[in-house]
Amino acid sequence: MAANETTVKLDGVSKSFGEFTAVRDLSIDVRAGRVFGLLGPNGAGKTTTIRMIVNITAPDSGTILLFGRRIDANLQDRIGYLPEERGLYKKMRVADQLRFFAEIKNMRGREVDSKIDEWLARVKLPEWKNKRSMELSKGMQQKIQFISAVIHDPDLLILDEPFSGLDPVNVELLKEIVLDLKRAGKTIIFSTHQMEVAEKICDDICLLNRSRKVFAGSLREIKSSFGRNSVAIRCEGGNGVLDDPALVSKLVRHADEAQALLAAGADAQTLLKRLIDSGAVIGKFEMVEPSLNDIFITKVTEPA
Amino acid sequence: MKKFLSVVKREYIQRVRAKMFIVSTILLPVVMSLFILVPAIILSIETPPMRVAVMDQTGRMYSQIRQALFNDQSAPEAQNANSGAPRTTTPRRSFSRFVLEEVNATNQPLDQIRANLDQRMRARELDGYVILPPDFLSQGKAEFITRNPGDVFSPQVLQSAINRAVREQRLIDAKVDTRTRQELFKPIELRSLKAGAPGGQQPNSNASFAVVFGVGFVMYLAILMYGQIVLGAIIEEKETRIAEILFSSVKPFTLMMGKLVGVSLVALTQLAIWGTAFGIFAVYGVGLLASEGLRENIPSIPFLHFIYFGLFFLLGFFIYATIYALVGSMVTTAQEGGQLAMPIILILVVSFYLFWPVSRSPDSPFSFWVSMIPFSAPVAMVVRIVTQTPPFWQIALSLLIGFSTVFVIMWLASRIYRVGMLMYGKRASIPEAIRWARQA
Repeated sequence: MAANETTVKLDGVSKSFGEFTAVRDLSIDVRAGRVFGLLGPNGAGKTTTIRMIVNITAPDSGTILLFGRRIDANLQDRIGYLPEERGLYKKMRVADQLRFFAEIKNMRGREVDSKIDEWLARVKLPEWKNKRSMELSKGMQQKIQFISAVIHDPDLLILDEPFSGLDPVNVELLKEIVLDLKRAGKTIIFSTHQMEVAEKICDDICLLNRSRKVFAGSLREIKSSFGRNSVAIRCEGGNGVLDDPALVSKLVRHADEAQALLAAGADAQTLLKRLIDSGAVIGKFEMVEPSLNDIFITKVTEPA
Repeated sequence: MKKFLSVVKREYIQRVRAKMFIVSTILLPVVMSLFILVPAIILSIETPPMRVAVMDQTGRMYSQIRQALFNDQSAPEAQNANSGAPRTTTPRRSFSRFVLEEVNATNQPLDQIRANLDQRMRARELDGYVILPPDFLSQGKAEFITRNPGDVFSPQVLQSAINRAVREQRLIDAKVDTRTRQELFKPIELRSLKAGAPGGQQPNSNASFAVVFGVGFVMYLAILMYGQIVLGAIIEEKETRIAEILFSSVKPFTLMMGKLVGVSLVALTQLAIWGTAFGIFAVYGVGLLASEGLRENIPSIPFLHFIYFGLFFLLGFFIYATIYALVGSMVTTAQEGGQLAMPIILILVVSFYLFWPVSRSPDSPFSFWVSMIPFSAPVAMVVRIVTQTPPFWQIALSLLIGFSTVFVIMWLASRIYRVGMLMYGKRASIPEAIRWARQA
C-alpha cells in the first residue's frame, strides 16, 4: 500500500440521535500505514464516528469511503474493531471463541487454527487455549479480545481505548504489537482520551470536542505550530511572578518543578527577567515542547 | 449466509454441549414419569377395610345392599357372597373397601342395639353402622353413624350402593321380572361418524383429537421451556457486551435469525430425543398390551396430515419464540425479560382454548379467521385439518402469513436491538421501542 494512500475518508459527515447531535460536519482523512489518533474528551463523538466507519450505524449526511469505496458487508471483513464496550462469551473456550470471531469475518479452514496458536503465543497465553473465558483474569480477557479484532489480518484496525485497565507490562506488549502491525502496512485508528498514550504511538491526530473537529494533522506539525511556549521551571521564590496571568496562562506544579504555559503575547525572556528581579533562585529554566495534553486542554477550553 | 451459519453453529454446539442440556434431557422424562408413578403408588397404598354393621329393620335389604356394594367393587367376589361371614373386597377404582355385617334386629329394643354398637365402636371393633328403619323402602331415610366423619368418600360409596339396592328392591316389589329390569337399565351406545366417510368404517375422531391435543401440548411445553432460552440467548450478547464486536461483522438481523434458528434446533434435538424414547417405549408398551389380548385402536391418519402437523408445530414454536426474541431485544437483563414475557404465556393459553370452539364448528368464519391469525393458527388450523380439512389454499395461506410474521417480528426485533445498543444499553419502553424501530 502506497504511503500517501487514504484508507478512510470522511466528508462532511453528521449524525444525530433525536435532539442530540453526536457528530457535526466532520471531514477527516486517515492515511494508509499510519496510526491515526481520534482524540477528545468523553462524549466528543469519537465512538459514534467509529461506529459509522465500521458500518454499525449510518451517517445522516456526508459520505464515508473505505479503501476508496463506500462501505458494504464485504469491506467490513477487512476491518478489525475492538470497541470500548467489549466482552467474551463466558462459557466458551478461548479457541472456540476466537474461531467464531474469525468465521464471522469470513475466515475459514486450517488457517484459522494456526492463526489462533500464533496469536495466543504472541500475547503469551498459549496454555489458556482450551480454558473457558470466565476462568481468565480481566487482563487476559482483554488480550483475547484484542486477538479477536486482529485474527483475520485486517487492513484497517480500529481500537477504542484498547489499553484501559491493563497493567504497564501488557500495555507495552500490545503497544509493540500495534506498532508491528503498522510496520506491516496496516492502518490503525486509535481512539482515546489518554493523551500520554496517544502521544507515544500516533502519527496523525484528530481532536474532537463537542461533536466538532477542533483540529487535525500530523502530530509533529501540530506540536511545532504551537511553538515552544511552554517553560519547565525549578526555582525557589518568585511565586507572585508565576501567578501573574499576563505572563503565565497555566501553571502545573509537579513534585520538584513546575510547567508554565506562556500567556499570549508574553515571552520567555520577560518571564525570566521578572523572576530574577523578584529574587527567585533559579535551578532550571528550559523551553519545552507543549505536551499533547497541554494542547488538548488549551484547545478544549478555548472560547469557540 | 456463511456468517449466518456460523452464528447458528455456535449457538447450537455451545448449547448442546452444555451440561444443562444433557442433564435436562435425561432428567425431564424421569421427573415426568415420577409425576405419573408417585400418585399411582400413593393411591395403591392399602388401607384397612371399613367395618360397617347394617341394622336392617326392614328385614329385606341387607343382601341387596351387599350385592350392590360388592358388584360395584369386585364382581367375581360378590357373586358368591351369599355366605353370612363378613367378606373383604379389593376395589379397583374406589378409595373405600368395606367389611359388612348384619345385625340381628329382631330380639332386642333399638336403643339396646345402638348402645351395643356404640360400645363396639369405642372398642374399635367397628368403624360405623347403618340403621335402616322399618319404613325405609317407602320413606328412603336412613342413618349412618361413623367414627370418622372426615372420611367423605366412604359414605358416598355406601349411599350409592344403598340407592341401587333400594331401586332394585322397589322394582321387585312392583313385580317387574329380572329380564325386564335388565332391559330397562341397559346402557345406550352413541357412535359419531365423519360425514362422507365410507359407510360402516370406524372413524378415528377420538384418536385424531388425541393427536391435535398432542401437537398443541408439545408446542405449549416446548415454548414454555425454550421461550426463556431464546430470550436469554438474545440478551447474551448484551450482557457479555459482545454485541458491538459482532455488529462490525454481521448484520443484527443475521445475528438474531441465527440465534433463533440455533436455539430452535437445540429444542428440536431435545424433542426428537424424547420423542424417540417415547416412541420406543410406546411400541414396546403397545406390543405388551397386544400380547395381553387388549386391542388398542391405533389411529390411521393420512401421511399428509403428519406433514401439516409438523409445519404448524414449527410455525407455533417460531411465532412464540420470536416474541420472546422481541422482548429480548428491548430489555437488558433476563430478569426484566421474564416479567415482560408473562403476556406471551397468556396469548398461548388463549389460543390453546380455541381448540373447543373451532372443533365444534370448523367451517365457521370465526374458525377461518383464527386459523389465519399467526398466533392462533397453529392450534386452530390443526383442529380444522383433523375435523373438516379446509381447502389447500387456506392451509398454504395460513402458513405463508405465519412464517412472514416470523420474519417481520425478527426484523423489528433486530432494529430495536441495534438502536438499543447504540443508546448504551438502556431498557426500551414500548413507545421508545416503536421509535427505535423506525429510526435508522
